Amino acid sequence: MTIQEETTVTSEPRAEALRGARDIAPLALGVSVYGLAFGLLAAQAGMNSLEVGLMSSLVFAGSSQIIAVERLMAGAGAVAAIVAGLALNLRLVLVTASIRDVYANRPLWQTVLGAHLTTDENWALMLARRAREGQGGYWYLLGAGLVLMAVWCGSTVLGVVFAAAIPEPRALGMDFAFTAAFIAISRALWRGRADLGPWLTAAALVIGGVASGLVDSSWAIILGGLGGAFYAGLARPNGNQ
Amino acid sequence: MSETHLVIAALIVGTLTVRLAGAALGQKLPSRGGWARALNALPGCLILSLVIIMLTNGGPKEWLAAALALATAVITKSLPATMAVGVVAVALLRNFA
Repeated sequence: MTIQEETTVTSEPRAEALRGARDIAPLALGVSVYGLAFGLLAAQAGMNSLEVGLMSSLVFAGSSQIIAVERLMAGAGAVAAIVAGLALNLRLVLVTASIRDVYANRPLWQTVLGAHLTTDENWALMLARRAREGQGGYWYLLGAGLVLMAVWCGSTVLGVVFAAAIPEPRALGMDFAFTAAFIAISRALWRGRADLGPWLTAAALVIGGVASGLVDSSWAIILGGLGGAFYAGLARPNGNQ
Repeated sequence: MSETHLVIAALIVGTLTVRLAGAALGQKLPSRGGWARALNALPGCLILSLVIIMLTNGGPKEWLAAALALATAVITKSLPATMAVGVVAVALLRNFA
């Protein structure tokens, strides 16, 4: 796949949204387990179900919600909690920038709604489908995002309500669901030899950054993504691009 | 406004700003040449970076489960199958190995 702007196929919005909603199901199952775990944490931090429901629907970024509430509980203060949560979300600049064609030439409300509903999970799922089938765009992303939103809000609120009865997700191996999902999606995104240099660059930066202690993990992800992209931008183009 | 409400409000505004900034930035960058190649390579590099960070948080059991998940992904190209193998492998390794 070369320039996505030219390859995007516009199918019927409704059918695409339903397809996205169906394809996200296994990932949504993983999200629901995390949602319950977050609800449990939030209950321990003294939050009620209204606060958790509002936070889940309007922030809609699971890992940053978890780290912010965890920081609050640790007594780090509001500013430290906000900085930790937003630092973790900075990679979303790169996520939404990398699918710019999805938001292009749309009314403002569609751009805002689409950007708000973009998460690691439906973004990666849409890219994997594009890599395989050459289609998938705004409505696919939106359908998958709406399911994730419903599942995330529902499970986090249930986690608050039934805090006492929730088992530890680690023992069931459910914390590994996203690692395995992103491994499958990486495989789908591998475009062949041309990716070797950028991917090795990204891997070296992430491992080097974390191992040296110079950056924490949320910055290492950004460093790896940017470093690999930078390599691809500077590398001599081969073929028709 | 309590500390919790301040954090929720700041994360709502900050996170939406971050998402929209990326969408706006993407529109501004050229669609040919080096910038386009960089943006096209960005998703794979970001996801790979995420996977590596997830794996650095685990140990040999998680790495073995990840290897089995990768083998499943290469052979089946199926997302649900890869997730199932990864989760079952890590649960078995943690509880019985």
